[in-house]
Amino acid sequence: MKKLKYITYTGIAIIAFLMVIISACTKLKDTSYNQLISSEFTPTSSDLPALTGAPYVDWRGLLLQWNTLYRAQEVSGDEMLTPARPNGWVDGGVYRRIHEHKWTTDDDIVVNVWTRAYQGITNCNRIIYQVQTKSIPVAPADTTALIAEMKLLRASYYWVLCDMYGNVPIVEKYDVPAGYLPTQNTRKQVYDFIVKEILANYPKVSKENNQKTYGKFNKWAGLTLLAKMYLNAEVYSGTPAYDKCKAICDTIINATGTSKIALESTQKNVFVTENQNSKEIILALPFDSKYVAGWNDFDVHMQTLEPENQATYNLLSSPWGGVCAIPQFINTFDTTDARYVDNYIKYQQYAANGDKLIASMGDFTGKPLSYRNYVPGVDFSNEVDGFRLGKFEIAMGATNRLSNDWPLFRYADVLMMKAECLLRTGDATGAAVLVTQVRQRNFKSNPSKATVTSSDLLKGSGYDYGLQNHLAPFTHEGGADIQYGRFLDELGLEFNQEARRRPDMIRFGMFTKKSWLSHSPNGDYRALFPIPRTEIAKNSNLVQNTGY
Amino acid sequence: MKKKLDLWVHSNPTLKKLIMELKIAILIIVVGVSNVFATPTYSQIAKVSLDMKNRSLEQVMDEIENQSEFYFIFNQKQIDVNRVVDIQADNKLITDILPELFKGTNVNYVVLDRKILLTTDPVEKNLLAIASATEPQEKQITGIVTGKDGTPMPGVNVVITGTTRGTLTDMAGKYSIEVPQGSKSLTFSFTGMLPQEISIGSLTQINVTMVESTIGLEEVVVVGYGTMKKGDVTSSVASVKSDNFIKGSVTDAGQLIQGKVSGLTIISPSGDPTSSTQILLRGNTSLMGANQNPLVLIDGIPGDLKLIAPQDIESIDVLKDGSAAAIYGTRGTNGVIFITTKRASENNISTVEYNTYFSTQIIARKLNLSTAADFRAQIKDGFRTTQMPDNGASTDWLKEITRKPLIQDHNLTFRGGNNKTNFLVNLNYNNTQGLFLKSYNQVFSGHIDLNHSMFNNKLKINVNLFSSSAKWNGFNSWDYTQATRQNPTSPVKNPDGTWFQELTKFEYQNPVSDIYESDGQANNIVGRYKAAVIYTPITDLKLSGVFSYGKTTQENGYSETKQNVSTLRDNRNGYANTGGLESIDRLAELTAEYSKSINKHNFTILGGYSYQENDYNDYYMENWDFPTDKFGYNDIGLGQAISSGNYDNLIRSSRTATNLVGFFGRLTYNYAEKYLIMASLRSEEASQLWGTKNPWGTFPAVSVGWRISKENFMSGQTLFNDLKLRAGYGVTGSQPSDLFRGVGIIGYQVNNVSQYVLSNGNWIKTLFPTQNANPDLKWEEKRETDIGLDFSMLNDRISGSIDYYNRQIHNLLWPFSVPSPPNLYNSTLANVGVMENKGLEIMLNFVPVKTNDIQWNTSVSYSTNTNKLVSLSNDIYKLSTDYIQIGYIMPPIQTPSHLLRVGGPVGDFYGYKVIDIGNDPTDVANYGKWVYEGADGQPVKYSDYKHSFEDRKVLGNGLPKFYLAWNNNFRYKNWDLNITQRGAFKFQIANLQRLFLENPTESQYNVLTTAYNNIYGKTQLTAPVEFNSYYVENGDYWKIDNITLGYNLNKTGIKYIQSLRLYVSVLNAFILTGYKGIDPEVSLLNGITSAQSGVASVPTKGLDPGMDQASKYPTTRTFTIGLNVTF
Repeated sequence: MKKLKYITYTGIAIIAFLMVIISACTKLKDTSYNQLISSEFTPTSSDLPALTGAPYVDWRGLLLQWNTLYRAQEVSGDEMLTPARPNGWVDGGVYRRIHEHKWTTDDDIVVNVWTRAYQGITNCNRIIYQVQTKSIPVAPADTTALIAEMKLLRASYYWVLCDMYGNVPIVEKYDVPAGYLPTQNTRKQVYDFIVKEILANYPKVSKENNQKTYGKFNKWAGLTLLAKMYLNAEVYSGTPAYDKCKAICDTIINATGTSKIALESTQKNVFVTENQNSKEIILALPFDSKYVAGWNDFDVHMQTLEPENQATYNLLSSPWGGVCAIPQFINTFDTTDARYVDNYIKYQQYAANGDKLIASMGDFTGKPLSYRNYVPGVDFSNEVDGFRLGKFEIAMGATNRLSNDWPLFRYADVLMMKAECLLRTGDATGAAVLVTQVRQRNFKSNPSKATVTSSDLLKGSGYDYGLQNHLAPFTHEGGADIQYGRFLDELGLEFNQEARRRPDMIRFGMFTKKSWLSHSPNGDYRALFPIPRTEIAKNSNLVQNTGY
Repeated sequence: MKKKLDLWVHSNPTLKKLIMELKIAILIIVVGVSNVFATPTYSQIAKVSLDMKNRSLEQVMDEIENQSEFYFIFNQKQIDVNRVVDIQADNKLITDILPELFKGTNVNYVVLDRKILLTTDPVEKNLLAIASATEPQEKQITGIVTGKDGTPMPGVNVVITGTTRGTLTDMAGKYSIEVPQGSKSLTFSFTGMLPQEISIGSLTQINVTMVESTIGLEEVVVVGYGTMKKGDVTSSVASVKSDNFIKGSVTDAGQLIQGKVSGLTIISPSGDPTSSTQILLRGNTSLMGANQNPLVLIDGIPGDLKLIAPQDIESIDVLKDGSAAAIYGTRGTNGVIFITTKRASENNISTVEYNTYFSTQIIARKLNLSTAADFRAQIKDGFRTTQMPDNGASTDWLKEITRKPLIQDHNLTFRGGNNKTNFLVNLNYNNTQGLFLKSYNQVFSGHIDLNHSMFNNKLKINVNLFSSSAKWNGFNSWDYTQATRQNPTSPVKNPDGTWFQELTKFEYQNPVSDIYESDGQANNIVGRYKAAVIYTPITDLKLSGVFSYGKTTQENGYSETKQNVSTLRDNRNGYANTGGLESIDRLAELTAEYSKSINKHNFTILGGYSYQENDYNDYYMENWDFPTDKFGYNDIGLGQAISSGNYDNLIRSSRTATNLVGFFGRLTYNYAEKYLIMASLRSEEASQLWGTKNPWGTFPAVSVGWRISKENFMSGQTLFNDLKLRAGYGVTGSQPSDLFRGVGIIGYQVNNVSQYVLSNGNWIKTLFPTQNANPDLKWEEKRETDIGLDFSMLNDRISGSIDYYNRQIHNLLWPFSVPSPPNLYNSTLANVGVMENKGLEIMLNFVPVKTNDIQWNTSVSYSTNTNKLVSLSNDIYKLSTDYIQIGYIMPPIQTPSHLLRVGGPVGDFYGYKVIDIGNDPTDVANYGKWVYEGADGQPVKYSDYKHSFEDRKVLGNGLPKFYLAWNNNFRYKNWDLNITQRGAFKFQIANLQRLFLENPTESQYNVLTTAYNNIYGKTQLTAPVEFNSYYVENGDYWKIDNITLGYNLNKTGIKYIQSLRLYVSVLNAFILTGYKGIDPEVSLLNGITSAQSGVASVPTKGLDPGMDQASKYPTTRTFTIGLNVTF
């Protein structure tokens, strides 16, 4: 038994020894070297801008990253398309489906817009919650304004959802119980919620319009959003609110003396690379290629230019050659309109050193790279086909991202919203004055062309609608039957490439009625996007939109 | 102690055998320490005093045990411990007390050192003699032990059979032993050799020739934290010794055993000298866990297959099933591969081995791209548009960027020392030129293994130092892609000596220029220090500590001149980047093992603690706009892009630290080596789970074995030499791969991009939550059942094993879709879902011919696996769809390639199903375009086809249904010939080479000669590149992989040279397949994700098999000539 004891003692000694070592070595590594663990992070006031700025970031991704709001609103309309190119742009037919209104419930535009808008909403809810619970140190004097700003920002994300999907859940809280599934609201409820939120909160935010409020929701941005809601009230809620819209527009217009909001002398000024602090911009999404550096953050130039154009702008990457204008739309321009000149890249292309560029792909290989106002169809096109998008200035030596700020709301839109309200409420003359005002800067050498009369505005559209691609003889439906169609044309001339064509077309009742290029109507239900199939999969409270 | 012994004895009443077992156990411990016997035995010294009246025998025995180190062993059935006795003794020897105690009973006793054996059976005289060691009548026996070839064998154990008494042979193989009268025989044993028992009789000289143990049942295989005799193993373990390795210029350790282990799929998807093999054991087990690959242990320390020079490896053992791997807990979930490097051996005389080989490579199969002549014919036939004109030259672009590489390898191994201190030094130099210009991998590595025993062998120390220094320049797949795109009628250079370029074309650049106008190199240094201490304080107890420290540092640099497209086209004005990393691994493992054999009961208890940590950091910077090309990447600060202030994120660095803490225990027990059982338990916590509700995971395992051949009813038969049935169940797991997924994290970056916002005129980095926290996150669990049969029959002429396994992976880690809101992000890493792998593995070995001059060994292995997703939801996470889309095909396709459906297999291709091609020239929209099968099975014209998710169908499956391998090994006198063949069957491959290069509409680039062929004999294709069933092909193949012919000279006749071997080898010799691509052995890991900024990327690792990428490195055939010399 002594032997046994020896074993026992040795064992105990060893175990004790091991325990000492082991107890020191059961601690898990808990150091994070490039992220902060929430529970261990106590923000200081110097962290405030970084914390409260975060909910704005989501807007950029929502608008401009690959297959998001920009494509949903523009490529589905009658202004632009992404046809198959010699170097691709088929990508499983996603762009074609947008043009043909055949998107599926799985398509990127459907999924991404939902995801990113709600990401913005949740971020707003989070900041509101953190401010209210004082887990981030906002000075008491600033609390009200900050919460109001976040609520306006949140309302802007809901605006996108209301416009795209209509019937979406309203979630206002961040601290929901585990397993909480939001319930669906009707489009009207969403509309009412947005309006209520803006009305309650725009008086609480800054009415300054300066560097401090640039890129943030101030009073004027809040009011512009409200005007946009009222303008589309009939679509969103079933009841028009043009009078309310006009009143809000008037509030903005009448305050321009103090807010210093004004039309730029040329439209181009709004879209140049260094357009920050443009007096026409009411709410900007600021971009800078140095700081906004995600791969697809703002790459309209990469998507529209052909590879050869790299030499035109000395770009750091070869462009991919894709999206272009629909010829029928281009034909609605007066060719002396400065917007026709500035907004599109046309005809012979040159290198920065003045050399003529030569096409290198497809049937036009070896021929001059000269963009023509012709596109065979969404299924096929050559390098030279279609005018390219040039509204946003492309800086020499640009990276794959542009540095132009995106004017989400601008003053010309306020004027045009008011004009539309006047037109729709019987004051065509008043409307004509405003439309003329917006047009004037574009016809400086030919001022008479700027003038639009009340009778002009009461005409239909001049757009030569119809199926016009290479697969069949062209049809000509025209636009004469569109009420206030001429006004719709004006919206296109002024606001093309600004991610808003679809709602305008819907408001004028023709989004699902007309044909253009390879597109023919595919059912009125296509005026709303479907709720993503993946979202319904996750939340059994959601009911799919009619028709999908 | 006594009580326990009672129990054991109770179940096994044959005392004599008990004694034998004890002796063997002791023998094992005292082997080599013959002088132990010179000291007086305990019983001759220890004295006991007793004054006990009217006590039970048991009480008396207790008292004796208390006073001394003696203890009693007996069978309760035979000995009446309740018998009342009186005993008085004053400081007496035990040998004086025992006669008095058992006077008048039929109890016989034996004192064996400290053990007192009681029995009613007659005790054999010789045993008594040994035990008391009182009879000095002994005789001396001497002899010499040699190997088969007559060389003396030092270090062979020579033991008097049935005793602990023995000695070792000396350096000349000689021994001398004193044998007591009556000793019957001597047993000679040596690791890896068959033990031999030789009768003594009247002999005084016994010479023995040792024979290698062929069956391998006595062979030792590596199991977790120790070794076991193969015959005792109760789980699926495969062992490959260096003799059986694939010979020639192999990529890494993985390729050595390609086709040698059933169920272990090893793929060498690329001939790139910097690439490594891919390993899949019994199918996919984890979607998102940290442990995607088998645990590779190099001499017990985690490493990777690329780390160690193949020439330095002695054997590779593979733990296949969960019951064996569970001792490694989390890390063993994909199996464990033990790499044992060449070891210093205490039995070896000093030797020096020199091994070398030289290899070269050719491309085994290449794409049938249009040559200049084809091209001109295509132009003549009107197939080519103007975009690829005849530029007048004839260039084979692939030839322009390749060469005939030279690969050389030199390996020196020194062994020396004695049974106290011995060492091994291995030095390896490998210089592998790549097939592609400027690609190479040059490695110098060294390995020192030092062993020392002290304190009467109670303490053993092993020090192992490993170091390697490598530099390389990898193959750039973009250059290869460009070579496939180039116009074969374009020249490489212009008449003025500048590179011929057409840089305005979309993604089109001269690959030769790319190679010559760039420069890159990576330097990698690995150092690993390992120390192991084994302490045996008392018999049967072994305490060991293994400590290691490993450090990898790497730096790499890359630059492009101003003649590179980065300047000519992309306006960079010279470009360079440099980067580096450092990874430090620390490991400490402490184990205590207690082994005991009592009678036929053999058991081992193991307990241990393991601590592993990794500290990793890296940095990277890039710059452009350099004033000169002269300095390449060596003066990164000279560029002006960083200082211009126009670019963010050109300098970055990161660091992570992780650790893993585990406690484990294992019990192995067998009865008479007939009934075997092993049970283990590991409890482990991982830093990846820090902050979750429970970071600990528990991983139990149990396995049992039945050696049927040891049963009495089998004793008469001669058919089976060995027959063992085994079954095991084990749980292993995987933690998430990323840190801190359980807690809320806020950060400044998403996908390495800072999220800035303009605030009061300044751009500031925002701070935001980067993930949805999941405090319920836990270990993924793989529950595996394995049933197997090992057999050996007809004098070991036929042997093999059969295994059936079922792996259920529970709590699958997956980025689960969650509603947003309320969640910030639309996916959360959670433990949801169940995946299942089932399969059968058969390995058969035959020795059809075996004579002195000729031997033929052949083995066949077969394995099959079915992989199924059983569910993908649980109580918290529910998904109403029953599938997930996986994989991604590069632009211009940009669609998922696979679908994983609940209840369905892993690896299903999902896309459009072609049934015809439009052949009506008047129907412009559909002429030359695909006719697809609609959802209802009816043909749908291209223009009517929606290309929607609902239109997609399963087009095949990328995972082979079964693998087959056939290895042959012939020996004729001094010649040997090895042929390894293997194949995979019943699977499909997405031939992306054809998809991208066989489409005539892609006429801005070169295309395959077949591109203009009519589809279905009808008309040329006019549809754009589109992923569909036309490009999904059967991938079945059979490869005659490795052929090696060697000539061995054991007695060279040359002084100083002991043996010599010369061999020639060819790798990837022949392939039989109907597959139209380059090589149907495609990468298991596609590695391409559809990561878009802002969208959570889903890893496709292993879930999108069968993708044969267009830029795949062409398969190479390697020819080698090699020489091994032993001095």
